[in-house]
Amino acid sequence: MREVTRPRLDYLAGIQNADGGWGYFPGKESWLEPTAYALLALHPSGPHQGAFERGWKLVRSWQLSSGAWKPAPHVNEAHWTTSLAIVLHAVRGVHDAALERGVSWLLGVKGAEGGALARIAGLFTSSLVEFDAGLVGWPWLPDTSSWVEPTSQALLALKLAAKYVHHDRLPGRIAMAERMLIERRCRDGGWNYGNRKVYGIDLLCYPETTAMALIGLKGLAVPGLAPSLQLAARLRADSRSQLARAWLTIALQCHGLPIANEEADLAPDVMVTALQLIALNRVLG
Amino acid sequence: MTTRRAFIPIAAGAASSLLCCKRPIASSGPAGMSRVAILRASSYSADLVDRMLRGISLCGLQVKGKRVLLKPNLVEFDRFAPINTDVSVVAAAVEVFERLGAAEVLIGEGPGHRRDTSALTEQAGYRAGIPQFERRFTDLNRDDVTSVPGFADIPGIFLPNTALRADLIVSVAKMKTHHWAGATLSMKNLFGLVPGAVYGWPKNKLHFIGIDTSVVELHRTFPRTFGIVDGITGMDGNGPIQGNPRQSNVIVMGRDLVAVDATCCRLMGIDPDKIEYLRLASPRGHVQESRIEQRGESILSTRIEYRLVPQMAHLRLQSGG
Repeated sequence: MREVTRPRLDYLAGIQNADGGWGYFPGKESWLEPTAYALLALHPSGPHQGAFERGWKLVRSWQLSSGAWKPAPHVNEAHWTTSLAIVLHAVRGVHDAALERGVSWLLGVKGAEGGALARIAGLFTSSLVEFDAGLVGWPWLPDTSSWVEPTSQALLALKLAAKYVHHDRLPGRIAMAERMLIERRCRDGGWNYGNRKVYGIDLLCYPETTAMALIGLKGLAVPGLAPSLQLAARLRADSRSQLARAWLTIALQCHGLPIANEEADLAPDVMVTALQLIALNRVLG
Repeated sequence: MTTRRAFIPIAAGAASSLLCCKRPIASSGPAGMSRVAILRASSYSADLVDRMLRGISLCGLQVKGKRVLLKPNLVEFDRFAPINTDVSVVAAAVEVFERLGAAEVLIGEGPGHRRDTSALTEQAGYRAGIPQFERRFTDLNRDDVTSVPGFADIPGIFLPNTALRADLIVSVAKMKTHHWAGATLSMKNLFGLVPGAVYGWPKNKLHFIGIDTSVVELHRTFPRTFGIVDGITGMDGNGPIQGNPRQSNVIVMGRDLVAVDATCCRLMGIDPDKIEYLRLASPRGHVQESRIEQRGESILSTRIEYRLVPQMAHLRLQSGG
């Protein structure tokens, strides 16, 4: 274990909630998102297997009968964080009925913009924002539109799960979502939440969503991706956001680019700490 | 090519625009009058504490012993664009509510697009410019939440505990045009109370419910509010992010957010009767000028016409209005 990772792993294990999960901040209620990232960070670590198992058990208990996961114990909504639960299963190498039900649910969810009503609406509003409604990804919540981050998270989940789960729709959804992300890339080469243009004016990318999109596009060999990767490296060097830098590091790792890990202060933000560890231990890349 | 963001709501908006001439007029509102104060401030280095103390006094707000949550408008950072509530305004509000005896003055925001609220607060100068910022601030996108029953046509909505526990939510908004809603002021600013951890970035569920309906429902859900609109440097044109700076040199304040926003619209040269969320909220607040007791400066003396994108040109307040 690298010297730099041990104090962070100890810290992460030390702020685990009694129910086995993690809040977004120490002492707060458990949510699936920080819990999944914390578990991905702890997974390769021997000394904290007990903490991992408690968290794993909690995540498993949050799966709904639909196959989706809920984001927090009292938020009974089928949620985009299902993708994170699938990633966790895949990284742990667990292939069982829970994983299959999760993947089936995810494959059944798509952005509402592909529907007939939405397409008719588009006819009235062609000057607002631009995108190809035929290319559909994933929404934050069912029955809403596709956006860059949940689409990217779903792509990563399905690509990792594809080793274990075989489903007719899986290759097609992956291919379409990859095309969607490429189509919604901003002119500067990066991604924002999912609108590249409003009223004909180009919008700028964000570091964190650029990272997410590149993580989702892991394994895609497209020559046009090179400028986006160069941009990601620049954003990583320039960004003052610890969260963005951690995600950008993982994104660059996912595309096989050599990245020097940085020495960063321990953050009070659980996701930042966990993502820094995921980057340091190259869990996803 | 076609369009995105919120197809169904946009279609509703388009239909609404087409039918605007036939829309029902705003309700005359609740009984009585609403006080709205307009205070002149020529720059952010003016004595904003003095202006706000005067405004609060003119509006008759009592804050002693209350837990106050300041809700600024933090969206994205661009050093050349007045997108966010200026740090000087938020810092002044902290000082004012503490001086007036609030039990606690907290700050909370849940930006609609950006994941890293912490970095955004740093870029916007909040961390350096607001005393004890770390202790006061909650990222409302990632706060613990409670379900509140009944929200438009859905059974309920999850809202952050920090907001639900506040005795008074002060919407410290920015005076801006908005390319979907017409104007974003103290009411639209309430969108930032909705947690991204449940609804995403952006909070697309609200778009599907309807932007205007969601604004009104949030206003109904949080009845103990006060509005402070930073119109010292506002934004016109393609707001709320890509517009241009517009110097209005005013701070607008009041207990009735509907009346505050209707007044801001008149200052911006926008017809408040054509802002759908104001029309929908009119049974709970005053849109009509005759029902608003204007304090401080007059609308006429401080009105600066905000440029509107062509798609919003129909919102222009006719001269003399």
